[in-house]
Amino acid sequence: MTTQTQKRGTDLLYSLLAEARGYADAIVLGRGDPDFDTPPHIVEAARKAMLEHGNDYTPPEGILPLRQAIAERVQKVNGITVDPETEVVVTNGGQEALFLMVISTIGEGDALLVPEPNYNTYNDALRFARGIKVGVPTLPEEGFRLVPQRMREAITERTRAMLLVSPNNPSAAVIPPDDVRELVRIAQEEDLLILADDIYDLFLYDGAQHLSPAAVPGGKERTLTLNALSKAFAMTGWRAGWIVGPADLMAQVRQHKAAVTGATSIVAQYAALAALTGPQDAVEQMRQAYARRRRIVMEALDSLGIRYGMPQGGQFLFADIGFTGMDSAELARQILREEHVLVYPGSAFAPGCERYLRITFLQPEDKLREGMERVKRAMERILASKAA
Amino acid sequence: MAHSQTKELVIQRHQANALLQAPVLSPMKRSPEDLSVDHPTRPLEAEVVEAVASALHGGQTHYVDVPGMPRLRELLAGWLQAMGVGPYAADHVLVTAGVQEARFLSIQVLGDLLGGVALPDVVHPGALKAAGVRRLRVHRLPTEGAQGFLPTLSGIREALAGGVRLFYLESPVRLTGAAFDMASVKEIAHALQEHDAAVIWDQGLAPWVEGCPFLAAEPDLAERTVVLGEAWPGAGLESMLLGYLAAKQEWLEMMRSQKQVISICTSTPYQLAGMELAGRYPQIHAEQVRALARLRQWAVEQARGLSLEVLPGAAVNLLALRLRDSERANARLREKGLEVAWGEEFGAPGVLRLAMTSESALAKAFAALREATPA
Repeated sequence: MTTQTQKRGTDLLYSLLAEARGYADAIVLGRGDPDFDTPPHIVEAARKAMLEHGNDYTPPEGILPLRQAIAERVQKVNGITVDPETEVVVTNGGQEALFLMVISTIGEGDALLVPEPNYNTYNDALRFARGIKVGVPTLPEEGFRLVPQRMREAITERTRAMLLVSPNNPSAAVIPPDDVRELVRIAQEEDLLILADDIYDLFLYDGAQHLSPAAVPGGKERTLTLNALSKAFAMTGWRAGWIVGPADLMAQVRQHKAAVTGATSIVAQYAALAALTGPQDAVEQMRQAYARRRRIVMEALDSLGIRYGMPQGGQFLFADIGFTGMDSAELARQILREEHVLVYPGSAFAPGCERYLRITFLQPEDKLREGMERVKRAMERILASKAA
Repeated sequence: MAHSQTKELVIQRHQANALLQAPVLSPMKRSPEDLSVDHPTRPLEAEVVEAVASALHGGQTHYVDVPGMPRLRELLAGWLQAMGVGPYAADHVLVTAGVQEARFLSIQVLGDLLGGVALPDVVHPGALKAAGVRRLRVHRLPTEGAQGFLPTLSGIREALAGGVRLFYLESPVRLTGAAFDMASVKEIAHALQEHDAAVIWDQGLAPWVEGCPFLAAEPDLAERTVVLGEAWPGAGLESMLLGYLAAKQEWLEMMRSQKQVISICTSTPYQLAGMELAGRYPQIHAEQVRALARLRQWAVEQARGLSLEVLPGAAVNLLALRLRDSERANARLREKGLEVAWGEEFGAPGVLRLAMTSESALAKAFAALREATPA
């Protein structure tokens, strides 16, 4: 049975994840789920909320104190000014935010400019909306830089919006501020909306700078920006995120939120509030840990002579395994079966990415080293068999 | 700011979508004074809270399986079986972020598969909104006020004859608590089989109806039925929004796949709370049903004493009344600081729904209605 909701890339990732669960000694370097647990003060806030606010009303857009905290956060971190009353909607994590952004702006037959490679759920959401994906390639030889002129050239009369994900998932490339300004200018000139995914905005390396399109003059009026607590506060299981944007568009986001899942649970909202307003040292500790771990993965790949896009941000890197002559899905499955290490195939993220693997650095250093040793073993075997 | 035609186009398109713009229900404050709630309000037991907090402190804060934690799915399946809902096992159950996600997944996924959906004229507005997101062909089913706004069987038969293959039916009706009787359930089952049609059966209020008949319990009907509702309602999970869907595996897989795109998984703390609560629920529920039944009987007598029209309803947690002057009643209720649910939001103007929260709050409401009743 074929439906609009079938999704090859996503289903491939989930089938690998399911297989990995069958190995007791599996090391998961695929899924974007930090190994850190949620900081205790956030759990305490949830416990308190269950006791004190368990029966409170929450509107679809979320409780006001949380929307105020989100408004303060996006002002401080991203330079985006929003009215918490009308320009913030709380969501069930970044995933729902992403889904709502797409279905609130893209209708049947509308085109969305999507840099490739990209997080596969964008394609799934777009398929649900019966929209048209116009892939705009980013190239490894250019460090997966999103070239503004390529975006401009891809615009047609059906184009309604452009997607900007920075740091990008899976390439880990960060859009330089000047390019962001240029992309906003293009959006203004061509009258496009901007869907901005800032979920990795706190995870930047080697001096990379993040600029939110909504912070650029003229950008906010046409930009919806998503973010979530999952990555920054190790809260993947809680499902708490948000969208901010201009009030007129956000009114429609609110309608869609009410239609898709209704309100977000009060407990997750109070936990999110504690995360945003409480101590931030855990975020910095995690960021420093990821910076160290990133080096471990890079060194392991360097020792094998494997090329990769320089990870300027995020929690993963995108490694070029073209030299193996294998398709990435086939290779990922082989590494999983032989070495019990889960890495994600590039083919799940975009057509033409069959020669890449996404490797996350979301495991403790010793486990990460062990995982990369196993990947190395698998690669060496493959190369040896090719040589023979 | 520069004018954006693109933005205007997007906004106008949504504003013209009457289904999507169906009302968002008025806020529920979930206190004993709030008569607009659906399920009874009760704090979550402290032991449940502590157990959840302990699990979270222990590191259960990560993504879990898309369809739900395995143990929770087992418990939900057991609960559904104990209610007599139908032959659903754990792998037929999908845990959802509240009942609205269950509505959205079932209406959109099956509506896309089966060429649209029939929705009752009087229905929870969330069902309309769910159908409006990606516009489906929507057929409206006539309902009968004298039957508590249950869709008429003749309307269902006519829709089937007209080619409708998917129905969304509430039993009990969310506005009135009216439920199909066994004879009607059998007749619907027969008609669906005859026309090879399917149904989404919103049974969220069923725990409040003694001996509520379930369509999926009819022979072979589970194959063509998706059941949905709130998990263990009335025991303190309401604001945590824990819902469920159950269906045959082929459909469940399609809805699971769509849920993955929407929210990856349902929030871990609520799933942990559901697991902790499941064992305590039968006792909590039995006590609630007894108390609610007594309160409802008292409320019915009060309403009749005021010559108000009481609409049929079998759910002990609600009482629906038809008013001659709802505007006046609304003004009087508001003066007394009382919130009620209004039928207009469900498609039934002139009807109000009272939750059986407390005798004192209900007494205030009836005093307001007395003042609002023309001499």
